[in-house]
Amino acid sequence: MRLRRLVLTFVIIAPLLTLLAYGFFRDPRYIASPIVGQPAPDFTLTLFSGEKLRLADLRGKVVFVNFWASWCPPCLAEAKEMETSWRQLKDKDVVFLGVQIQDAEKNGRAFVDEFKISYPNGLDASGKIAIDYGVWGIPESFFVDPDGRVTYKHVGGISPVVVAAKIGEARRKIVSAKEGQGEYQPIR
Amino acid sequence: MSSEQLKTFWFSVFFLLLTYSLLTSSLGAGAPPDLEEETRAIAAELRCPVCQNLSVADSPSELAQQMRALIQEQLQAGKSPQEVKQYFVSKYGDWVLLAPPARGFSLLLWILPGIVALLGLALAVFFIRRWMKKKDAPAELDAALALTGQRGAAGTGGGEGAESPRAFLRGEQARLEAEIKELEFDFHAGKLSQSDYDATRGDLESQSAAVLKRLGSLPAEPRRPSARSQPAAAVRKGPAAGARPVKRWPFAAGGVFLLLFGLALGVLLTKSLRPRASERDTITGDFLTGTPPGGGDAVLAQGRMAFERGDWAKAIDAFKKVLQADPNQPEAHAYMGMILAQAGHTEGALMAFDKALAVEPNFPMALWGKGMLLYQTNGDLGEARRLLQKVSSMMPPGPEKQEVEKTIAQLARDGNAKSPPPPQSSPASAQPAPPAAQPAVAGAQVEGTVDIDAKLKGKIDGQAVLFVIARSTAGAAGPPLAVKKIAHPKFPVNFSLDSQDVMMPGAVLSGKVFIFARLDKDGNPTTREPGNVAGEYKKNPVEVGAKKIDIILDQVQ
Repeated sequence: MRLRRLVLTFVIIAPLLTLLAYGFFRDPRYIASPIVGQPAPDFTLTLFSGEKLRLADLRGKVVFVNFWASWCPPCLAEAKEMETSWRQLKDKDVVFLGVQIQDAEKNGRAFVDEFKISYPNGLDASGKIAIDYGVWGIPESFFVDPDGRVTYKHVGGISPVVVAAKIGEARRKIVSAKEGQGEYQPIR
Repeated sequence: MSSEQLKTFWFSVFFLLLTYSLLTSSLGAGAPPDLEEETRAIAAELRCPVCQNLSVADSPSELAQQMRALIQEQLQAGKSPQEVKQYFVSKYGDWVLLAPPARGFSLLLWILPGIVALLGLALAVFFIRRWMKKKDAPAELDAALALTGQRGAAGTGGGEGAESPRAFLRGEQARLEAEIKELEFDFHAGKLSQSDYDATRGDLESQSAAVLKRLGSLPAEPRRPSARSQPAAAVRKGPAAGARPVKRWPFAAGGVFLLLFGLALGVLLTKSLRPRASERDTITGDFLTGTPPGGGDAVLAQGRMAFERGDWAKAIDAFKKVLQADPNQPEAHAYMGMILAQAGHTEGALMAFDKALAVEPNFPMALWGKGMLLYQTNGDLGEARRLLQKVSSMMPPGPEKQEVEKTIAQLARDGNAKSPPPPQSSPASAQPAPPAAQPAVAGAQVEGTVDIDAKLKGKIDGQAVLFVIARSTAGAAGPPLAVKKIAHPKFPVNFSLDSQDVMMPGAVLSGKVFIFARLDKDGNPTTREPGNVAGEYKKNPVEVGAKKIDIILDQVQ
């Protein structure tokens, strides 16, 4: 009788406690992306150089798309390493593409100059590209395989090691089961 | 459970479900008539990805603004609301929907509250019944004992034949013990479930305990009761412990309570919540909260209060919010005009007054504000006169009207008057009264230089604008009395503040004033951004007419 009561109480309390624990340990701002494994949304970006770049034109290459803003500390932190990664990988049929969001173009240009970023960057003034990719925190990076499919998404600062590994996976068209997470800044 | 109790129970369940369905249907009702409404309706169903529990319609964030623009664009392109929502779901997942779809794991969210409510109700009924049974057990015993006493009193079998309470209780005990044994037998034979067995055995045991207790409370020496004493005992017990009816009132009270609770919930919630009628509206109705339709009014009132307190930043914030929701709100434009005028931003102020007048050509506050500003800054004096005459014609007779008329007369006399006596207060009742008019001091001015601290010289922004400000009070809280704007200053800068720099309609540069200077990075005096450099005259306050007021900019803001 007493045991039965104990078991019954446990059966009621345990799920509630589990729910509470889940609530405590999960990041309430985190939004799992449904676009990993899906075709990457196409876009045309006007680069700081004035040229227009269309994602669909890059089929056959691995594309690394990075969303950033000059006011975001984790973006500042990763900028230098990103450029290093680009220099190491640029001859391997890879395209790095920086998409500046929620920012003024002059700040973006200053940012690119300051970190001597040599891969193409441009401003998404209307925020349409960012919304198309379901961006909610920056920096946010997407890896697109040669068939134009998103293979991996990383929210927050990303290390060059991960960039190289995920580019390798994208080349082999391996879709990651999990998203990556680093230090990020919610967008405004 | 009796059929009546069952009825009450089902009625309560039905009522709860009815209330629930009414609530959900009233909140989701209403098809948006035009594009803007349709955009708002879709945005209200989407969760803002960067906010805490705010819809895209309610959020002021940049992302939400971009999302609203995108919704509108997609609607214009001919997409259906369902397709637009699906687009956002394909980007942010089901998470983005404020009302999660009733499928998969989310289905739990929809049915769980109902299940929990039913379970709770069932549990409540179970406990009430158990509680009543326990209460009834001794009562039944009392009733049986009383009956025994009455039988004895009636003398059906004489003193010997009548069953004594002790004998009755022993009989009861024996009966209960036999019943328990029988129950045990039935249980072991598998005729009873464990729960039924536990419940019934518990009942029997508690009854048995009550009998034992009653036995213990009887006199220790069982005396043969006399024929006389028995009726007395029966009479004593009779009225108190006569055959009691089964208590139904707790069930009735519970049912009535549930009914009233459901009614109150249904009525109050449907009255206090409503679908947002417009961008400015809130979901809380006026029934409970007193919020009138159009939440923008509340923000406007906050703005007015902040304006009257002289809390410019808050006032600007509130009016901006109002204008964001309704870009044609004349009062907010007029107030913005007043704030800009006080801050020395004449062009901006005139633009704001014009916006207010474009919406409502006879808006008194904007007419008066623009008229006085034109008059004060020696702008289009003919227009100033026309505007003030218009205000005057709308004003009820009184000292305020007289002041406006005085100004008009002054304008008529001298089209180029430098510092005419201004009115003492504004015609709009909501508008704060400017400081009382002081006698104008001809040629009153403050002269001096502004220099920048040597350490800060390297930090000067080429676009920065220098403001030299005279205030009638110490500290930076109050409105400036007079402001001199110097673009691209080359330090040290000479300045002179005179009656032409007086910005607040109705005020005069005279008496003691406090002189401040600020090098503003973006040239907008109403905003304070980090990196602005400020300074004040070390011997503040100064008498108007003073010279060599030298200010060093040495505080980084």
